[in-house]
Amino acid sequence: MPGGDFHPFFFVVIAAWILVCGLGVVLFRNIIYSAVSMVFCFLGVAFAYALLNAELVAIVQILIYVGATSVVILFAIMLTEVQQSYGQLFHRQAIFAAPLAVAAAVVMTVMVVSTELADVGDTSLNLSVHALSSLLFNRYVFPFELVSLVLLAAMIGAIVLARRQGEKR
Amino acid sequence: MSPLDWWLLLAMLLFCIGAFGVLARRNTIVVIMSLELMLNAVNIALVAIAQFRAGSQGAGVLFSLFVITLAAAEVTVGLGIVIANYRAKRTVENDHFDEMKG
Repeated sequence: MPGGDFHPFFFVVIAAWILVCGLGVVLFRNIIYSAVSMVFCFLGVAFAYALLNAELVAIVQILIYVGATSVVILFAIMLTEVQQSYGQLFHRQAIFAAPLAVAAAVVMTVMVVSTELADVGDTSLNLSVHALSSLLFNRYVFPFELVSLVLLAAMIGAIVLARRQGEKR
Repeated sequence: MSPLDWWLLLAMLLFCIGAFGVLARRNTIVVIMSLELMLNAVNIALVAIAQFRAGSQGAGVLFSLFVITLAAAEVTVGLGIVIANYRAKRTVENDHFDEMKG
């Protein structure tokens, strides 16, 4: 079972939480239930990061995913005003998608189980937030600036796309 | 099985659930939510490998931060497209969006 300074029981609980909420996103007919299930799934992933000693990623996960992305998706649901999925829940191609997903899961399980990853220990590296941020603003400052540019472009793109046609000035 | 394997299995299962949602659901907003599940799964794998390998120097954790940021950008643009499509056709079911079908 997963090592580290926590009981394996916590891993089982968190993994079951994440997977059940993930299935809820895909299987709920009411889209609001799907969205709430997704929020809980993101929260579970944040706890998984906390178990992995990655406290910075856990905090960012809660801030961005649980805070921002979920609100954006709930806003989109409210703007489109289609709470219920009428008629067929799944596309015609679901009869191909389900075996494909199961087959991919089986193949990847075999790969993960059969591969011996080198240089893997039980002890986590656990870089501090201070060390990570100094890395981010020194060695990785160019990707950091590039990401800010991408965010600006995405913001402008979203405004242009979602604006009503008659509102040009 | 090493401790890392259990985390990779969790990430892999979540990825497959998300992939099924992307391929199978008709509602475009649920498709975007399933896409977020897939990105989260990849992030779990990245962070797990970064934390369990001694030589990673924090690169995996920082990379997962970039993935989270780009996922936020992606969901904004994606939902903008969904809302624009909803204005045009009054539906979010993706089998009605077939203008570019050959």
